[in-house]
Amino acid sequence: MEHAAAQFIDLQHGNVLALLAIGFVGGLVSGFIGSGGAFVLTPAMMSMGVPGVVAVASNLCHKFPKALVGAYQRNKFGQVDVKLGLVMAASATAGVWVGADFQNRIKLDFGEAGSNLYVSLAFVAVLTIVGAFVLRDAVRVYRSGEADAQEKASRLALWVQSVEIPGTMMHFKTANIRVSALFTLPLGFATGVLASTIAVGGFIGVPGMMYVLGAPGLVASATELVIAFVMGFGGTIKYSLHGLVDIRLALILLAGSLFGIQLGAIGTTFVKPFMIKVVMAAIMLIVAVSRGLVVPVYLTELGRLDLAPSTMAWLQMASFAFLVLALCTGSIIIIASMLRGHRSGAITLREPAPD
Amino acid sequence: MENPKPRLLLVASGTVSGALYLLLYLYEREIMAAFTRTDGWFPVLPVLAAFVFSFAHGAFTGYFWEVLGIRALRKK
Repeated sequence: MEHAAAQFIDLQHGNVLALLAIGFVGGLVSGFIGSGGAFVLTPAMMSMGVPGVVAVASNLCHKFPKALVGAYQRNKFGQVDVKLGLVMAASATAGVWVGADFQNRIKLDFGEAGSNLYVSLAFVAVLTIVGAFVLRDAVRVYRSGEADAQEKASRLALWVQSVEIPGTMMHFKTANIRVSALFTLPLGFATGVLASTIAVGGFIGVPGMMYVLGAPGLVASATELVIAFVMGFGGTIKYSLHGLVDIRLALILLAGSLFGIQLGAIGTTFVKPFMIKVVMAAIMLIVAVSRGLVVPVYLTELGRLDLAPSTMAWLQMASFAFLVLALCTGSIIIIASMLRGHRSGAITLREPAPD
Repeated sequence: MENPKPRLLLVASGTVSGALYLLLYLYEREIMAAFTRTDGWFPVLPVLAAFVFSFAHGAFTGYFWEVLGIRALRKK
């Protein structure tokens, strides 16, 4: 394939500043909940005039080094289960292939609007169901007064852990679970399918590791970074072979996101574990609203509804505003929890060096 | 006396990271031409660059928060 230099935009100073800021906020959320950011970064780049495929490619090229730095940092805090991450990533890679293939077929059969409608409906369905479940769990933990206690595995996870299938059992030390690979395989696969559909596989991967396998929230969100690294790395190579990565966009995003991801990772060490679930649920539910708003737009494009062009433009703008709101809400909750930690003396301020 | 080591490392890693971004800015045209080529080993360039920047800039951002006094509360 010929290289696609003509598709790359001239970068303006305003664009660079916007990329740095969104990169930072996206990084902060990723460092804290293991994923997130892509759902704002990709449309934000497209609104600057970057073609969709270049935006996806450049986002992936910034995602894997970011995830690497985040995973390294959180591994220092003892939160990453590398083995679980790699096992999940292996089946997630297969999921990405199948998901991308399925998406291509929808595009061929139903066109661009059909594909967009499918992606938005997948967003709304998955995020509403999983987000509501995560929120309900976070509220339950908060109300039970056990916010400081070790998380208890869900009933489903206890059942999954109790199933013994000889020859398939795997022990994951950091997550402190022993489960059959026959459960991790479909979970990783679903993570990959979702990643290739809505760009944020972690919205399935993290709740899946928590509620299906029984991994603690901190370990699940940290382990997701390993999966993100593997998938981002593979995706970058795939797009790079077609000359579609805009390295400037990737590196500018990285400049902001590495500040964010380190801060987010540090933040996980002094908030109560259920805060991970609060942030995750808040982001998922707001993103679900955002995608729900554009469903009528795609239905109009498919000829199933009749909206005025001005209404469609308004809905698209509102949808993007909700995406930004999701990321900002997540960041505000993270920073507020960190400040609470600071006030309670949890953050160790600079100490004098020993003489 | 305060430990000067993280500050020195912050300056050193910041210089390396800043120099890398300066090179990206100065040689934007040449870099984009090379990094979007699809023949030979050229497709490896974006991956290599991402790794190099993540090490240099990752070290800088790590020391940045450390020097500011924002450090992890070790639980384990």
